[in-house]
Amino acid sequence: MPIDEPSSNLPLADVLRAANGLVAAKLIEDWALGGALAAIYYIEPFTTYDADIFFIPADKGLTAGIPAIYAHLQAQGWQVEREHLVVRGFPVQFLAASGLTGEAVREAERIEYEGVPAKIFSAEHIVAIAASVGRPKDKARIEQLLQQADLDKTKLEKILQRHKLKLPTL
Amino acid sequence: MKLEMRQKLAREPFAEKIRKVGQLIRLAKTFPRRASKSTLARASAK
Repeated sequence: MPIDEPSSNLPLADVLRAANGLVAAKLIEDWALGGALAAIYYIEPFTTYDADIFFIPADKGLTAGIPAIYAHLQAQGWQVEREHLVVRGFPVQFLAASGLTGEAVREAERIEYEGVPAKIFSAEHIVAIAASVGRPKDKARIEQLLQQADLDKTKLEKILQRHKLKLPTL
Repeated sequence: MKLEMRQKLAREPFAEKIRKVGQLIRLAKTFPRRASKSTLARASAK
């Protein structure tokens, strides 16, 4: 199926394959799936309308190599809609990682999805990132992860301390 | 939904959960959420 043809299923394998392609093209050093789809790896499924790919830029300049990433994916049939790149009708955000998100990429768990090797934020890093952002939906995500995921409490505590974060009152 | 049910869903394979997310997106697009009565009342009061 051509990459610009909308899919009736969520085209996550295409997203992960594309992220691996960016590493092969030396446009990024490393990456991991973050955001809602990473949370869903650990908790019950819920509606989300995009995928967040956090990457360690190969280009350490101000643009983090984003223009080259866009050009590379557009050449493969991806479309641009505002801040998203769109594959098969599904929006994807490519976000340069640094600080806590950089650590989350480096320490991400290795998985395989539909035969595609990938990395995904650890549950503990997802909680810490949600604590750092602090929107109502982040608090709800923390609550879900505390209830449903098999969290390593010691690891979570160390991450929170390292980044001077506290869990919100739920 | 009961907590045990949600925990059971959480333990499903990732691919199955992603398939369900796809279903939820299709449902949300087919049946977009209607504005509540209070939202409509606020809008008409403006």
